[in-house]
Amino acid sequence: MNRKLKNRIFGGIAYAAVLFCAAILFFLFGVIIWKGISAMSFDFIFIPAKNFGAEGGILYQILGSILLVITAAAISFPIAIGTAIFKSEYIKSGKWQNISNIFIYGLNGIPSIIFGIFGLIFFVNFLGTGISWFVGAIILAMTILPTITMSAYQSINSVPISYRESSAALGLDKWQVIIKVLLPQGFSGAITGLLIGLARAVGETAPIMFIATAFSGAGVPGSLLEPVSALPTHILALAQQATNPAALQNAWGASFVLVILVILFSTSALMVRVKYKNIAQR
Amino acid sequence: MSTLNNKIGKGYIIASTAISATTALLIVIVLLLNSWDAISDIGWQLFSLKWHPPARQFGILPMLFGTMSVTLIALFLAVPLGIATAIFTSEILPGKYRFILKSLLELLAGIPSIIYGLIGIAFFSIWIQKLYGLQSGRTIFTAGILLAIMILPTIITLVDDALHHVPKKYREAAKGLGLYKYEVVKNMLLPIAKPDILGAVLLALGRALGETMAVMLVIGSIDKIPKPFFNWLSPGQTITSKLGREIAESSFGSVHFSAMIFMGLILLLIVLSLTIAAQLRACWEFGFRGKKCLFFDETRRKIRSIVGLRD
Repeated sequence: MNRKLKNRIFGGIAYAAVLFCAAILFFLFGVIIWKGISAMSFDFIFIPAKNFGAEGGILYQILGSILLVITAAAISFPIAIGTAIFKSEYIKSGKWQNISNIFIYGLNGIPSIIFGIFGLIFFVNFLGTGISWFVGAIILAMTILPTITMSAYQSINSVPISYRESSAALGLDKWQVIIKVLLPQGFSGAITGLLIGLARAVGETAPIMFIATAFSGAGVPGSLLEPVSALPTHILALAQQATNPAALQNAWGASFVLVILVILFSTSALMVRVKYKNIAQR
Repeated sequence: MSTLNNKIGKGYIIASTAISATTALLIVIVLLLNSWDAISDIGWQLFSLKWHPPARQFGILPMLFGTMSVTLIALFLAVPLGIATAIFTSEILPGKYRFILKSLLELLAGIPSIIYGLIGIAFFSIWIQKLYGLQSGRTIFTAGILLAIMILPTIITLVDDALHHVPKKYREAAKGLGLYKYEVVKNMLLPIAKPDILGAVLLALGRALGETMAVMLVIGSIDKIPKPFFNWLSPGQTITSKLGREIAESSFGSVHFSAMIFMGLILLLIVLSLTIAAQLRACWEFGFRGKKCLFFDETRRKIRSIVGLRD
């Protein structure tokens, strides 16, 4: 009886825990969707912000966020691919594999605000670039670099060894093997990693708030060296004037759009995965 | 031509690897160099209780205290709840619902932290204020609760994976002995999955320590250790919220700036050692040399679930 009772209590605790978590989950999604939808309108998405964001829409913030992450992707992607190839094809010893892993996972674990202050010191102050779109993109590229590298590495590394051997036997040199055999197979993995990284990058506030964005004021940047406005920093600015109901309303709207962007990126990661299964798993 | 291509290709690969490696090192070096002013000027006084830049008092203890207490509250709330939920999702919930729930959790983990901050400011701080009759609901406790909610998905998915990886035949053998589910979980599953659960907690800890936006919005930003120190219903300050609020106000090159960077450096070192510790467990078990370690990381887990990694 005692054992049975214990089992019952255990089941009860597990059910209670999961109900509680489900309640939190529904509360969070409920708030974001409910508040977000009620702030949504055609104007909100397609007109610029007015009065520090308390009025008007978020057109430039959406544009700015997209510009930032696309530039970040363009910077990060080639570097990540190169690193992944190096890790997969050139590092042979287990010891160096482990060391490279420590680098990658260490970089991935660095708190986002540290990237922000690094950018502030190194780019804005030391290199004197000023607060700009480009610096923000570089810093975001750094935050997503490990994600893309890991993902590209895994898919390149999973190409069967026989493919490498057969293509080498045909007389291809190492670079040709990489270009003709490994990259086509590894590409989908890299794209998936890129999209996962972008889903993270688009919502990051701390890395860009000192170095890339101007609160509310900025429009479409004329050059790479001008500040942009971005959704997360816009939400931050609005959240700080939370006593003003109009500002709060717009903050919910901006949050909703941001969540949609995040979901878009992560579901397209899944789609890419489904569409281009790489050869090792076929 | 082909050899030239080969050379260019190799050059590109090595250059990009060098860029990646330098990036990682550069962050640590830049922070170290910039905090040097504060270390040499202020020295051990950095670890004092008072932060007052005009009087050149740069004691970071209140911020360290805030970071630690917020993190402790978050772990204290999230770890038991997360493990209990993970036991449910892995052991009780039927497989098809498990997939749906895990996708939802993935979504939840993907919500940017600034939105958690907004929810905290619009709901939690007001609830806490009303519940305890405070002047302001922006307290250490509020930040702790918010942080607990933020790390909950991480803990649930990682612990769920850890439990799920225990081979099925163990469960069947235990069931065959006539054990109740509770006994299976307590005597077999949890001990086997314990290293992975520990890794999950370490990762969640690292994430909680480094969380900025949500904490910054709800913690109240007062650079003091509350009196008495366990009074969590008073405003505080964490390293991250301090950096977020004040770094733009301090001028580059001043001792004030340098002391802020020193704080960031401390945070970075704590988080880095935690991440590396969480990931090196496998290496310690097998011995570091030669054998490849199985790294333990949330992003890696995500990639694995999407790309289908093999170890």
